[in-house]
Amino acid sequence: MAGTLEGPLKRFSRFILGVMVVGALYVLIFGPRSEPSLPPGRQGDLVLHYWEKWLGKEAEAMQQIVDDFNNTVGAKKHVYVEMMSMSDIDQKTLVATAGGVPPDIAGLWDPMVVQLGSLGALEPLEDLAKAHGITQGYYRPVFWNGCHFNGHLYALVSTPAAVALIYNTRIFHENAGKLRAAGLDPDRPPQTIDELNRYADVLTEFVTDAQGQRRVRRAGYLPMPPDFDWYVTSMPLWFGNDEWDASARRFTLTDPAVLRAFQWLESFPRKLGKDAVSEFSTSQGGFNSPQNSFIAGTLAMEMQGPWMANYIHILRPSMDHDWAAAPFPSAVPGLKNVTYCPFDALMIPRGCRHVSEAFEFIAFVNQPDEMEKLCTLHCKNSPLTEVSWNFLHHHPNPYIGVFEDLSASPNAHVTMQCPIAQEAGAELTAIVQGVLALELDPKPALERAQVRLQAKYEEFETNLNRRMRQ
Amino acid sequence: MTVTRGEFRNLLKGLAFLSPWLVGFAAFMLLPIVLSLYYSLCDYNLLQGPAFIGTGNYRGLLNDGVFWRSLRVTMLYAAISVPMGLLVSLGVALLLNVRLRAQPIFRTLIFLPSLVPTIASAILWKWMFNQRLGVINRVLSPLLGWLHLPGPPWLDQSKWVVPSLALMSVWSVGNTVIIYLAGLQDVPRELYEAAELDGANPLQRLLNVTLPMISPVIFFNLIMAIIGILQVFDTPFMMTAGGPNRASYFYTYYLYDNAFTYLKMGYASAMAWIQLLLVLALTGIAFWSSKRWVHYQGK
Repeated sequence: MAGTLEGPLKRFSRFILGVMVVGALYVLIFGPRSEPSLPPGRQGDLVLHYWEKWLGKEAEAMQQIVDDFNNTVGAKKHVYVEMMSMSDIDQKTLVATAGGVPPDIAGLWDPMVVQLGSLGALEPLEDLAKAHGITQGYYRPVFWNGCHFNGHLYALVSTPAAVALIYNTRIFHENAGKLRAAGLDPDRPPQTIDELNRYADVLTEFVTDAQGQRRVRRAGYLPMPPDFDWYVTSMPLWFGNDEWDASARRFTLTDPAVLRAFQWLESFPRKLGKDAVSEFSTSQGGFNSPQNSFIAGTLAMEMQGPWMANYIHILRPSMDHDWAAAPFPSAVPGLKNVTYCPFDALMIPRGCRHVSEAFEFIAFVNQPDEMEKLCTLHCKNSPLTEVSWNFLHHHPNPYIGVFEDLSASPNAHVTMQCPIAQEAGAELTAIVQGVLALELDPKPALERAQVRLQAKYEEFETNLNRRMRQ
Repeated sequence: MTVTRGEFRNLLKGLAFLSPWLVGFAAFMLLPIVLSLYYSLCDYNLLQGPAFIGTGNYRGLLNDGVFWRSLRVTMLYAAISVPMGLLVSLGVALLLNVRLRAQPIFRTLIFLPSLVPTIASAILWKWMFNQRLGVINRVLSPLLGWLHLPGPPWLDQSKWVVPSLALMSVWSVGNTVIIYLAGLQDVPRELYEAAELDGANPLQRLLNVTLPMISPVIFFNLIMAIIGILQVFDTPFMMTAGGPNRASYFYTYYLYDNAFTYLKMGYASAMAWIQLLLVLALTGIAFWSSKRWVHYQGK
């Protein structure tokens, strides 16, 4: 038997070997190349690889800016930017940087400025920025500070935001009588946290279903709207303190202001019933859907960024004139225009081989006209000190002035500038969830988190110091 | 013993054909495993070289409340999911082993969910578990209404979320059912005939013939379940993001966060080695107990 099979087996093994060799040759000759196919007339240009997290419409908007660069400054300086949109960009950038083949430009998020900067994974940009005329006065202080860590500029903004109170004016007017009866003015938004509570109480409506269960039909305000928990952990800012003291390098979770903020969050499930809140939250649609509770009219007020105008216009155009924006009220008398300013940032990872060319692109994005174009397309405010009349009056968000004023305010804050901000954010989100489910008492939960996070930070600092000594 | 030139040439050819696997195994399995052991003794963030810190990561884990919490969540899930999965899949396999005209159709229907990508089933189940709109609470509503109880917030309350995910895991038992079916068809007919002659009823035949005869298959499925359950990641990652209040923050999820979100690759490597030791310990217990309940033919 073996003898009869030997011939065919030999032939088969040669055939397989042949297929492998032909396959390898095919890949070598016709396989993918590392460089993209450049447009006619641009052969020989330096290609910069730009990785960006945005997908869909937001990526298309950024592509317009990339095209503007390639057709103007890029054409003059023989630099061609190739933008690649991707998911999980933080991890891909991390692995590529660790492997020594980073992109030339990475479009990441603000917390990564400090996280990657503290690990020496980003190119410092202060000298290049200065050479391009981008200095402190060019930027709103909150964004300028947010791009710095330990005295170095590690990023520049691609698009920023500021959060505000947005409220449904139709619901306010439809309930004008009830609001007036409660001593509240239906023609203006709440000015203090106490007022916001009272507006929310009046505007919240319950129904009893067929099973006799009491359900929230419409919520006046919810601290964590369905599918939107981005900023709830920054709530202590409106109560007078941050959760991280950058100068002392200490978490401040046991500060009375932080505790008051978490107790305020806890008051909502206590007032409305935790099961009713949970049931309401799960029955609403996702953020980017017509069932979004604010867009569907089942939530009267929420904390949101300027982009909400775009979502309202796309998902429910009939609501375009039924909402307004105002500074989110503060719990501290005299503390005005408090806001939290997250931003998207352009960074140059360590190991990039074309730093000055890469910065050329970042500086181009930060030119006033390009920045305003991008921020208009993304429906966001500008990070720059000067904004044009055109930007303010032709912006898709009719209340963009509110967001501009907020980001210019001395009470505007960025994400805690702590190297372990991501870990702290996860810890605080878990506490918020536990508090809203009435599973955690805010005070002991914050005390435990303070001990845990401070120990984590000190461990980070110890490791960093050990590395520096080595 | 001398190797002839022909034999040597055959050896080289064999190695050449094996080389894609050998190279892949060495580069993507063996090397990372060895390196992860070293990294577990280092402060390593991927962006800077590893700095040796001895057992610092392991000592840190012992004092890390989130580590213990994630371990508890995973063990609770395993305690519900492993027995439930084994029992349901065995029950389904016994039913599918009954000779029926539509048997192939039933087998296909049971196996189909195993072919659905995890992301698709996660989205589907997220809707099914929705407290107000989900089909599960809709089906339960007459009973719940009679008892004056609200529909459970399956994924939105700490006490419900792990049982809900365990319940969901039963949906994709198709692979286990197929293995059980193969085992059931291997049970010799004459054993059933002998038992019937001795007057055994169907339950007695199941307990005294079927289960002992397929015990090696049950054992195999148990081991695979233990290994798989301790690595659960994708479903909670997509459906609950570990919440609410870390009630579905599984061990592998915390490991992943440490490695790729908090950039603590050394810490994550230590977690991976503890996970390996846990799998080994649980598998060892299963092997030790198998002497009492696993019966091999011919022994």
